[in-house]
Amino acid sequence: MYKVVIGLEVHCELKTNSKNFSGAKNIYSEIPNSHVSVVDLGFPGTLPVVNKEAVKKALKVALALNCEIPDEVIFDRKNYFYPDLPKGYQITQAKKPMGRNGYLMINVNDIDKKIGIRQLHLEEDTASLDHYGTYSLIDYNRSGVPLIEIVTEPCMNSAAEALAFLESLRSIFLYCDVSEAKSDKGQMRCDVNISLMKEDAKEFGTKVELKNINSFTNVKDAIEYEIKRQSEILDQGGKILQETRRFDDQDMKTYSMRSKVDAIDYKYYVEPNIPPVKISKEYLEEIKKEIPPLQYERINTYMNEYGLSRYDATVLVREKAIAEYFEATIREGADPKLASNWITAIILGHLNKFELSINDIFITPKMLTNLIKMVNDKTISIKQGKEVLYKALDEKKDPTVIVKESGMKQIIDVDAIKNWVMEVLDEMPEAITQYKNGKTNIIDYLVGQVMKKSRGQANPAMTMSMLKEEIEKR
Amino acid sequence: MSYTEKSIDEIRASLDKGEVTSEELFEEAREKALKYQSDYNAFVTILDKKEEEKNKKTILSGIPYALKDNISTKGILTTASSNILKDYVPVYDATVYRKLKEAGAVLVGKNVLDELAMGGIGTTGHTGVVRNPWDKNRLIGGSSAGSAAAVALGIVPFAIGSDTGDSVRKPASFGGIVGFKPTYGRISRYGLFAFASSLDHIAILTRNVKDAAYVTNIVKGQDEYDMTSLPDDGKEYAKVLDNSVKGKKLFYIKEVCNLENYKNNNDLELIETLQKFHQTLDKVRELGIEVDEVSIDRKLLSALYPAYMTISCAEATSNNANLIGIHFGLRGEGKTVDEMMFDARTKGFSELIKRRFVLGSFILQKENQERLFLNAGRIRRMIVDKINELFKTYDGFIMPTSGGIAPKFDEEIDRLSERYLILEYHLVIGNFGGFPSITIPNGFVNEMPIGINITGRVMEDDIVLSIAHQIESKLGFKNQIAKGAK
Amino acid sequence: MITKEMLKDYANKLMFDMKEEEYETLQKEFDVILRQMDLIGEFEGIKDVEPMTFPYVIYHAKFREDVVKDEISTEEALMNAKDVKDNQVRVPKVVE
Repeated sequence: MYKVVIGLEVHCELKTNSKNFSGAKNIYSEIPNSHVSVVDLGFPGTLPVVNKEAVKKALKVALALNCEIPDEVIFDRKNYFYPDLPKGYQITQAKKPMGRNGYLMINVNDIDKKIGIRQLHLEEDTASLDHYGTYSLIDYNRSGVPLIEIVTEPCMNSAAEALAFLESLRSIFLYCDVSEAKSDKGQMRCDVNISLMKEDAKEFGTKVELKNINSFTNVKDAIEYEIKRQSEILDQGGKILQETRRFDDQDMKTYSMRSKVDAIDYKYYVEPNIPPVKISKEYLEEIKKEIPPLQYERINTYMNEYGLSRYDATVLVREKAIAEYFEATIREGADPKLASNWITAIILGHLNKFELSINDIFITPKMLTNLIKMVNDKTISIKQGKEVLYKALDEKKDPTVIVKESGMKQIIDVDAIKNWVMEVLDEMPEAITQYKNGKTNIIDYLVGQVMKKSRGQANPAMTMSMLKEEIEKR
Repeated sequence: MSYTEKSIDEIRASLDKGEVTSEELFEEAREKALKYQSDYNAFVTILDKKEEEKNKKTILSGIPYALKDNISTKGILTTASSNILKDYVPVYDATVYRKLKEAGAVLVGKNVLDELAMGGIGTTGHTGVVRNPWDKNRLIGGSSAGSAAAVALGIVPFAIGSDTGDSVRKPASFGGIVGFKPTYGRISRYGLFAFASSLDHIAILTRNVKDAAYVTNIVKGQDEYDMTSLPDDGKEYAKVLDNSVKGKKLFYIKEVCNLENYKNNNDLELIETLQKFHQTLDKVRELGIEVDEVSIDRKLLSALYPAYMTISCAEATSNNANLIGIHFGLRGEGKTVDEMMFDARTKGFSELIKRRFVLGSFILQKENQERLFLNAGRIRRMIVDKINELFKTYDGFIMPTSGGIAPKFDEEIDRLSERYLILEYHLVIGNFGGFPSITIPNGFVNEMPIGINITGRVMEDDIVLSIAHQIESKLGFKNQIAKGAK
Repeated sequence: MITKEMLKDYANKLMFDMKEEEYETLQKEFDVILRQMDLIGEFEGIKDVEPMTFPYVIYHAKFREDVVKDEISTEEALMNAKDVKDNQVRVPKVVE
């Protein structure tokens, strides 16, 4: 057995109107070369002009990841030749990234872990290449799209942790509203650094870099494959080569791309066309105010203050809008557990079925709260409440109105229920005998009979206890 | 009757009086450009047709001019005098070109430069050598070689060049004309093909200081497409030229200019150039300007050339990495993309360019950056700090632009000689610190023009221009047309 | 010591080649400039100086508002490309 050490480099495209250094539209388009400017094409004489919103969004994520923020924004050039890089260099940040030394909390198997963030920097995306039989085609639409790269410390020890990190990170992008972060659209991409070491070893093993992994599932598969591959080599007394490998999602294996010897010297140096621009404390405070409570924090609140299970809390925070909906319901005075149950079981089911977002549904947190209150004060039963909620979602109707219209009010009048209980027991003396002989589950049948007589309006709990009481007397 | 040999004021008056039309001016400029082309090779492109002026009310409307061929002009071939761009037609206008167009100035053509503006002698352009209009056997200097030749020949009253080390001021002095490099950021660099971005300036060539002031006035100002461009100072330079310069203080560098340094030197041109410089200083003093000799550590001065080479080559390597022949420029041949890029760059660049790129990339290599690139940046700061410290006392410094007249093409140049290490490279101080710096004619040595240079504090373009203007008036070397013009 | 082979390697990494004799010239140039730069490295106090990138402190630089503008047409974008297919620039197949 070996200890696995994993570090991640995650790229995420930022959602802005225009590109990072030009005014061309930042949008995914099927029509090639339809959103480009002379700057994105690196035509001679063009100069980069930094997009304020891209800087702001990068800073927002850096703050959300608890990073140290520099006093000024500067950029560097990363020099290399590749057909998707029209300038022959990428504008990025090396010397003073937007954030350093931050962290992100994850939870795997109920254990919290702090994942160190080495740095976060703002850069630009490359053009995209499409490959055909003997040629490739270049589309410059993506060239210059703002991109943030987040580099973690090598501190994850399993595919599960890596995956948990990626999911938490993705939630930050979504919560901060900086990106759609869809990996199938290439908006979020990940490189994995992985090494294996003996449990008692003091030094890290040889690092292998895995590139071009285009989905979270592939991250897991690639890591698991690599662990297996490297373990086998080490078991046989072999040595791991320091190299870059790519993951092939067809056969689920990794293949060598280049070794350390061929490592490129990117000759980083300060981008001379972008003078340093100061970041004021006031500006950072302003951005901080826009960062909502994040998943990790919300899960803890839900568990500790509302008594929810980790599972339910996790489901509720998966989307910020749902978490906010849930919290609004609590603020209206609803019982947290019932609210959580109904939102996760009924409302989310409804959203999935019709591919809706929570903002699309008719039922407001206030309406949901009113419905929950009717259950709590026993005006209606839980069962009725659920039915009303389904109906309200389907028919886009206020639940209170549905309850009123259908005359659906729970009967909690002791005398009325007692009458039905007496009637049922008188009609079925053999049931009493069976019950007394130990077949106690017959009580459910008797409750059902009472419900029948009451047309479903008798309070089941009251019915149950009154039945038991009466049987004992006979 | 030649109009294009006149000053802007004179041409303006003739246009306004209706003695000449802008069409006639364009034709005259175009004919001259064509006539001198075989002898001097000032142009890469001479336009056939005059563009319609957008504006008839500015000082420059209707006035013909030329642009260095590394300034982006939409729809007009722009080659940077390099094979790799020999077919490149830009799809956008440089800001300086747009502003001139909006002012109604009339573009005549695009001038030859040293390939990619790298190289100081005007001989490395892909369409051939540019010759000095005062003597065909001599070079005019570069990299704005064609621009200086076009102005000295009287083809146009002004031309726009670029200055990274001395690329406008040096050829101006060898051509007997005025070369003005304003403060870094005063004129937007958007559309200027980058050589070394932190040193590059758009600069202006004219035959008198007032014309330089007129042109700068039109093209200056902050540009949303250049983050390093300066907010406009709101000054009309041509109107402040006669502001009093009495009591202004200038210095010259003892280690460069004091004749005592050259006791054993038998370069007679150098000695005469320096003597003329000192004679001029006497006239400068007559204007009420104080001129002092100031000493600067010789070691610091000797570092100018290597520091300049280091910074400029490093930046140039990166700036020209877009020249891969894929979406523009010379297309290479090859079975793979790498082979294709390799072929385009191998064929597209001349030897000098390649040597500089290799040097530049070596300087930027991870293991060399500290010792080379960053040390050059440190020396740059030390020099600029030293000058700024002197600027607490002085309004500027005055120097001979070059240590002599334009060399002959076959002259051996020992770049490490005293003359070359300091005298020929002090102009880069202006680029290191972004200082406004102007070269004006200072008479003749062996019938070839020489120049003097005045460099002032950052942002004080107006003061530099007014000092230069008043020295020019005192000396009387203005509106010179080269002997080669007939 | 910078050998000709090293220079050739640097040139090739910059995506071009030079002639034999050009490498020789280059080798001499390297010699000179490196010698001069070594002298610079010996300057007193140089290590304490912050390398200069911009000619002076540029206080006025501002970020751009996030507004869409200045797009060029597909035709303009591809006008200078020598090999175009389906509105894209065509190159020999890029293999990773």
